[in-house]
Amino acid sequence: MATFGYPKPMVRMSFHHYSPLSRWKGGRYVLLFIGSALATAASSATPADTNLTAPAAPYRAPYSPSSDAEVLQQVPPASDSKVREMEMLRTALNADPGNLRTAERLARAYIDFGRQVGDAHYTGYAEAVIAPWLARQAPPATALVLQATILQYRHLFAEARELLKKALKREPQNAQAWLTLATLDMVQGDYTAANDDCVQVARNAGFTLGLACSGNLRSYLGQARQSVALLAQLEGDAPSLSAPFKAWIQGLLAESAERLGDWTQAEAHYRKALTYTPGDNFLLVAYADFLLDRDRPKEVLNLLADYSQSDTAFLRLALAQAALNSPELPRYTWIMAARFEALAQRGSDYYGREQVRFALHLQHDPRGALDMAQRNWQMQRAPWDARVFLEAAQAANQPQAAAPVLAFLEQTKLQDPIIEPLARQLRAQLKTTISRAP
Amino acid sequence: MNQHRQVSLRVVIAMVVALAGAVASAHSASDAYLTLDAQKYADPGISGNAVVHGQWDIALRDLNFVLKLDDDGDGNITWAELRKHQAAIAKYAYAYLRVSNGGKECAIRPTRQAVDNHADGAYAALFFDIECVGAAKGITLDYRLFFAIDPSHRGILVLRSGDNTATSLLSPENATIELTLY
Repeated sequence: MATFGYPKPMVRMSFHHYSPLSRWKGGRYVLLFIGSALATAASSATPADTNLTAPAAPYRAPYSPSSDAEVLQQVPPASDSKVREMEMLRTALNADPGNLRTAERLARAYIDFGRQVGDAHYTGYAEAVIAPWLARQAPPATALVLQATILQYRHLFAEARELLKKALKREPQNAQAWLTLATLDMVQGDYTAANDDCVQVARNAGFTLGLACSGNLRSYLGQARQSVALLAQLEGDAPSLSAPFKAWIQGLLAESAERLGDWTQAEAHYRKALTYTPGDNFLLVAYADFLLDRDRPKEVLNLLADYSQSDTAFLRLALAQAALNSPELPRYTWIMAARFEALAQRGSDYYGREQVRFALHLQHDPRGALDMAQRNWQMQRAPWDARVFLEAAQAANQPQAAAPVLAFLEQTKLQDPIIEPLARQLRAQLKTTISRAP
Repeated sequence: MNQHRQVSLRVVIAMVVALAGAVASAHSASDAYLTLDAQKYADPGISGNAVVHGQWDIALRDLNFVLKLDDDGDGNITWAELRKHQAAIAKYAYAYLRVSNGGKECAIRPTRQAVDNHADGAYAALFFDIECVGAAKGITLDYRLFFAIDPSHRGILVLRSGDNTATSLLSPENATIELTLY
């Protein structure tokens, strides 16, 4: 078989019969997955694929529905105000295609909506909108920053950074560029640079955002208490601020409370955040992770019941099914694997930490998980990236592999009631390994 | 002051967006699956020309973006709505697929449409035959679907010929490819 792009499937299959790739090779079989209703499993395998040893897989051949009323796909409803706004801006841009201001607003609306519902298609639409400006000899800073945001969303961090530097060279006071760079530096664990970025944010965008920026940063530096104190100032002072901003502050407060092990506060902040932006994919999965850690998987099923189209939400649903020892688990695992496989086929690598968790907890492949954690660590160094790395190293019984993460944690002084004990255990194992060495 | 606040709020949105970048996007981006079956290539059609069978799966979400399949805007694309738009879908999609053989355009003949489900949702499955004059061993495929509205769209091509399967990734940078049929 001739191959392309990627050297090997990124998803490692512990159970051959659940491998979507083998289905793919076997014929044009695809998955059955209608909306969020996972209950309908069709097992109508065609003769070519009949394999008596394999359990029924959730797929069927192309078909014509028998009922006109059958719902095939959910899409954003026309009544959604954001959908209407995007359409309005699209009409305006079509009427005046050279208008950078309109293009910028439309691109931003697409990016924002895609983020909210957790749909990467919209970053592609945004990219097309600003493409004519990026193709220019000297692209405007606005277009560069937007493209950097899109690339960051796709985890193309080096490319995003390059565009931001270019934008800042052109417009050293571009606050959006500084903010995006601050995020990038935080995600990649360069906290010294992030601190400088936050100073620039404060200088160019004002006190509120500067405070939010450094409040966010401190939670990664073992200063979660200060982080809470800083962010709490923005909580009260909020009537003029937008709902997404308030939700963001609440999300950061929840994260900082988790760093401190204050579960009651963390949960209160997550819930409050979701009142500002209900259905926000980013917050939903963060809250779902919180619930999984608290051993409350049933609540995860309720929380995310309507969001299984989002891959990140789907992983949490699958993890909740695993925690419940549900008979549904094999199907969830199969579909999750198929979604990762679809990403691999297009040569994308968006989901570093999610893939690690999938390999570790659902495919029970600690070696594979550790490989992916190591690759992910080259790109992302947020607390969750550290955590999945340590978990994989421990499960694979390779404490020495965790050395770079342990050094990073020592240096940054990250406080976290889950990561710290994990790191201690690995350090202890590492010492034992070393003392046993001849 | 007023102006300052305006700037801040604009930036706030950007920041919220930017910070979300820290977390992975939650859907895979746009993919279409193009499967070509050249197994019967050695057995020319009635006209004496070579025929390759094709199936092209295009996500309803993507088609909805360009063609508005959800007529009543209720957020659900039903089979009735999809059926009503099948002609428009064919007209749109086939305009972005070209096949030639030695510089000569091959005919693409749509045969039928169905629904196909992938892990990330429902797709329209477009079945078609490619008919080239003569018995060429290779074809040139030019694929441009959605690239103008979404440069991150990818066409995932699978070519089957006898027992061999070849795959290729179609992108704006790799839109034209040569295929050896057998």
